[in-house]
This record gives sequence, structure tokens and C-alpha cells, in this order.
Amino acid sequence: MNPQESITADSIERLCALARLPLPAERRRALAPMFAQLVAAANELSRAMSDGRYRHIVPILRFPER
Amino acid sequence: MTAGDLSGLTIKDAAQRIERRALSPVELTDAVLERIGRMNKSLNAFITVCVPQAREVAQAAEKMIGAGYHLGPLHGIPIAIKDNIYTRGIRTTAGSKILSDFTPEDDATVTARLKRAGAVIIGKTNLHEFAWGGTTDNPHYGTCRNPWNPERFPAGSSGGSGVAVAARLCLGALGTDTGGSIRLPSSVNGIVGIRPTIGRVSNHNVVPLAWTMDTVSPMTRTVEDCVLMFEIIAGYDALDDHSAQVPVADYRAQLTRGARGLRIGLIRDYSLSHVQPAVGDTIRAALKTLESLGVEIHEVSMPSIHGNISAQLTIESCEPSTYHQEWLRTRPADYGEDVRTLLELGEMYLATHYLQAQRYRSVLRKEFLEGFKGVDVFVTPTLPFTATPCGATTVAIEGHREEDMLSAIMQFTGVPSLAGLPALSLPVGFDGDGLPVGMQVIGRPFDEATLFRLGHAYQQATDWHTRAPQL
Repeated sequence: MNPQESITADSIERLCALARLPLPAERRRALAPMFAQLVAAANELSRAMSDGRYRHIVPILRFPER
Repeated sequence: MTAGDLSGLTIKDAAQRIERRALSPVELTDAVLERIGRMNKSLNAFITVCVPQAREVAQAAEKMIGAGYHLGPLHGIPIAIKDNIYTRGIRTTAGSKILSDFTPEDDATVTARLKRAGAVIIGKTNLHEFAWGGTTDNPHYGTCRNPWNPERFPAGSSGGSGVAVAARLCLGALGTDTGGSIRLPSSVNGIVGIRPTIGRVSNHNVVPLAWTMDTVSPMTRTVEDCVLMFEIIAGYDALDDHSAQVPVADYRAQLTRGARGLRIGLIRDYSLSHVQPAVGDTIRAALKTLESLGVEIHEVSMPSIHGNISAQLTIESCEPSTYHQEWLRTRPADYGEDVRTLLELGEMYLATHYLQAQRYRSVLRKEFLEGFKGVDVFVTPTLPFTATPCGATTVAIEGHREEDMLSAIMQFTGVPSLAGLPALSLPVGFDGDGLPVGMQVIGRPFDEATLFRLGHAYQQATDWHTRAPQL
């Protein structure tokens, strides 16, 4: 399924419920198309990073590296 | 000298005069305060101007120098500080309504180090709310404006610091840089700014944006002035968990080594791609100048470079939303609309998105470290475009196709932020409308010295950095 089609105000409502972030309906509607674009790009990056050649790569969460 | 001439001095020139007692810190501070008084209404560079405190410190500096105690090149020099950096006893708003009444009881480490060096803190500069954005169109403290054309944006988030330096409302300023917040305003305001290696300069008592990418550093008119401020604030700080125990170089000693023999890398299909024609032409001309100084230019392939915008958006969404989680639930109406929206969006990502973005940083860093085996620095434009109209949310880079401003802004500056590398922005020319163009030079971890060396050599051969906006 195309993530841009799958992100709706209802999806945002479910995510808000998980995060315990109460948002009015008009804000949920406004966020849906923006998040659809962001999540499509994030999913594309996740797909690229799942490539076998990166299997040994660990995230850097602390700079400078220790 | 007139008051106008005094505020136009570089830190180096003013410091030399102060040291030999040819210039009084009080006279210099008053000249700068007078200029702020005349110009801040239209430019909105400052949220707070520290008139009595600055005069008091300048008077103390004058007495001390008169008694034979000169603390160094920042003694008696008026410096501005971005308003997300703590200043003891002076309101620190982070450009927000939420912190509008916050007066810290302690300084940030960088503030304390500047004060110890004798700097006169002249005021706190405007910024994009909580540093989360690149326009400094601040809903609580007013729109900050570009001195080269007040209808154009000053970029951000350290827009007030960039404007204050360019408009001669201070001799140097501190900014913060997460994904480009020092380099972007440096570029569009025609000044110098450096993002240091993470860990080189303390973040202690600085309001965070994204913990794994935040840095603090100077913004000045010349590379030499940048060094004078940087050498004061760089170095280990036990109060900052990210601080690095790496020796600080003698930057001033290396500044005059010239550029001959340095190798510049251009990243294939990236460094000069997808930029406004005037920006591309200006960067190519700057590269020619550097070649004439004895620099070699090599093309380098970096296959993973193009995932940078998504990775930056993901990390810069998730980390601020974590910091703001409580306020977003208790005081949502106190945020400006754009920042509130970004913070809400940051709550929606999956943990896997965030961790894949952090793994991407690891890949990108490895590719850069591999690239540094063949070159000393990488060069890109700082921004793919020059200053856009205030309030614009889109920008045309190639042809007439409008692109989202936030993503377009991240095109070049996000890369060193993600890879944890230092990067210098310096002015290299103007477009046809008289708007400044900046060049970004990216260096090896903790090798800020080479960036200063190259930038200084370029400024010795050109005069872009001496031009001032007509105000």
C-alpha cells in the first residue's frame, strides 16, 4: 500500500492515542498529508538501510564516538 | 573615528586598539548600543539589549586595562549571544513564549568563558522559536530581517546573530547549529560562521533542539575574528556529557600557513548540483580563486549522500519532540503554528525510522572518513539559493518549480551535521540582486584548524568579507 494513501486523519488519531497526545480533529486532518510525505521518505530510507551490505552498521547515538 | 566607524571595526582591529589604549571599551560599547538603538526596530536582531550590564562591564574593562591588566583579544569587545544560550541574570527566552520569563541562575559554559576573556555581552539575539526552523520569522518577538534587503529573510535559526554581525550591531556573536543554524544565516547575511565538531565546544546550559546534533559556535565578519572567539570557547567541559577530551589546536598559529597544497573534494552529482545558477557560478569562481592559491580540486564519489534530507528530518523531528513532550501537552497554544506542527509530527514516527536514520549517519560518516584519505576538505554551497522573501514557505531552485523551504534549506548543511563533522561557511560573492552567497567547507573530525586556514587564505585574496550592507 502506498503510505501516502494510507495516512489519514484516522491514522493520525490512532498514533495520537498511542502517544497520549490529544489533538483536535482539524489539526489531525492538517497533519495527515504532511506526515504522509515525511513517512514516505523515512520508509524509503529504512528500505535502503535494510540492504544486506549495511547489516553490520550500528547507529551512532553519541558523538564523538567512544 | 565616528561612532559608525567604531562599530565597523573587526574584533582583531578593535582588540589591537584597546590593548594599546587607543580605543576605550566604553566608547566602543556606546557606539554599538547607539547603532542597535537606531536599527533594531527595523531589523529585529535582538530580543534583549543589555544596556546597563554592557556599560558596567565596559567600564570595568576600561579600568582594568588602564591598570595594566589586558585579558586578551576579547577584552572590552561587544559580543551578542543567541537567546537560547544561558546568561546568568539575563532573560533567556529561546525565542519562545514558554520561556519568556526564564532568567537563568547560571551561565552556559560558553557564556562564562567569554566573560572570563573580558567580552562585553551586548544583548541576546532573536532566533527561530526554540531554534526549530530556518527563517527566524518569530511569532513572539517579531520577524528578523536581512540587512542586505529587509524584505528578505535572514535564515535561521541563529538569524538574529547573523543580522547583528552583518549590520555591525556587535563585533561577533554566538549561534547554535543543529542542522545548519549557524551556517545558513552566515551565508545569507554575508558573514563567517563555523559549526564545530560535536564535542569540541560545550553545550552545557544551552536549550537543546536535537541532542545528537546540537553545537554552539561563533559568527563573525572574518575568519580571523572567528578564530579569536573560537579559541576561547573550545575545549573540554566536564559539565557536558558530549564534551570531548581532544587537545585544542593553536588555531592562530596555523592561520597563516596559506592554502597551497590543500586538496578540496567535490562530491560527484551533489556539490554543484541542484543550485540556483547564480549560486553555482559564484562557487565555481571561488574554487578558481582557491586554485590560483595552490589548492588542488578532486571529484569524489559518495554513494549514500542523497539520503541526508530524510535522515535529518527524522532525527530533527523525533529529538525535539522528546524534549518538548510535556509542554506540547500542557501548553500547546503557546507555540507558534509552524513549530507546534513540527513537534506534533515528531511524535508520529516509529522507533525504527529514528534508528535507521541514526544508522544512516554511521554510513555517511564512514564514507566521509574514507573520502578524507584523498582530500583535506569538501566544498559545497552553504545554501542552494540566496535569501528568499520574508514569510516564504517555498523556494524555486531550478526553473520555476517551487520546493518546500525546510527540505531545500537542509540540502547541504545537514550533511556535516549528520556526519558529526566541522563545517565553515564564508562569504564568496553576491547574486544579481546583491544578495550574499556562502560557501561551505567541511573538514575532518576536530580539524577546524584546516577550515580556518583555507578560509583565511581565501579572505586574504578577496574582499567579499569587507562589504557591508547599506543601512
